[in-house]
Amino acid sequence: MALIDILDEKIIDLEVEGTTKDEVLRNLSQRLLENDYITNVNDFVSDIYVREAEGPTGMGNHISIPHGKSDAVKKIGIAIGRTKNMIKWESSMSSDGFQDTNIIFLFCVSNDNDFAANHMMLLAELAGKLGNDARVAKLQDVTTKKELIDVILNEPETGNSGDNQEDENFDVDINFS
Amino acid sequence: MRIVGVTCCTAGIAHTYIVAEKIQAAATEAGHQCKIETQGTIGAQSQLTAEDIAAADVVILAHDIAVGGVERFAGKPVVDIPITVAMKNPKSLIATIEKKLANKK
Repeated sequence: MALIDILDEKIIDLEVEGTTKDEVLRNLSQRLLENDYITNVNDFVSDIYVREAEGPTGMGNHISIPHGKSDAVKKIGIAIGRTKNMIKWESSMSSDGFQDTNIIFLFCVSNDNDFAANHMMLLAELAGKLGNDARVAKLQDVTTKKELIDVILNEPETGNSGDNQEDENFDVDINFS
Repeated sequence: MRIVGVTCCTAGIAHTYIVAEKIQAAATEAGHQCKIETQGTIGAQSQLTAEDIAAADVVILAHDIAVGGVERFAGKPVVDIPITVAMKNPKSLIATIEKKLANKK
């Protein structure tokens, strides 16, 4: 199995409806339900909020990565949505605690750690790819689902990983033990 | 320099892997060798060997929950940070480590 096998066009929506985080989460979850990934939208969304409560899932570059483990999950996958307008999303990337998001990667993961281990490996690989700024920037310009999948799978020409915001006071301590 | 590190986050699904990639990219671009072990829900991947650790100039621990096997890094210079710090400023992280290690020498 390869990464492409978990990128399912049926659960990608480049024009997902919704003007709030909750609406978008529910609309993407509805798509997961219709394609047999989950058993119930309400249960799944409430488990997503359990993880949301532990810390922000906005990751900068207008991308958010809500995720959580849910008993409502039947099949592991990732729903991807792009909204027309920016929506407000909790984020540790900006000082006010919020960012504007228009691309959402909704991870659909089972509560059972041993469930579909192969799929979980692929999902981890996919998450790693979102750490590349050049790649995620390109996602704004795609016009088809196929193009979106190509951007995720193919190596971008530039692989830079710059800082989200320049911070003159940035500092970390090294502990010389 | 040679950098090793470990990432782990609360759910072990997303940030662990994203941040590993960010540190790796920032380090490689700055001309360093880098290997990051991810401790996620699927267990540890890209596990650091005793040789990796012995050869490393610095260890980066970017985490929200306890890192497994910290005793492996005894005696090494360690940068212990919340995962969001590396998520937000991977480039500054590497630059700051470079500067502080150089001052130490």
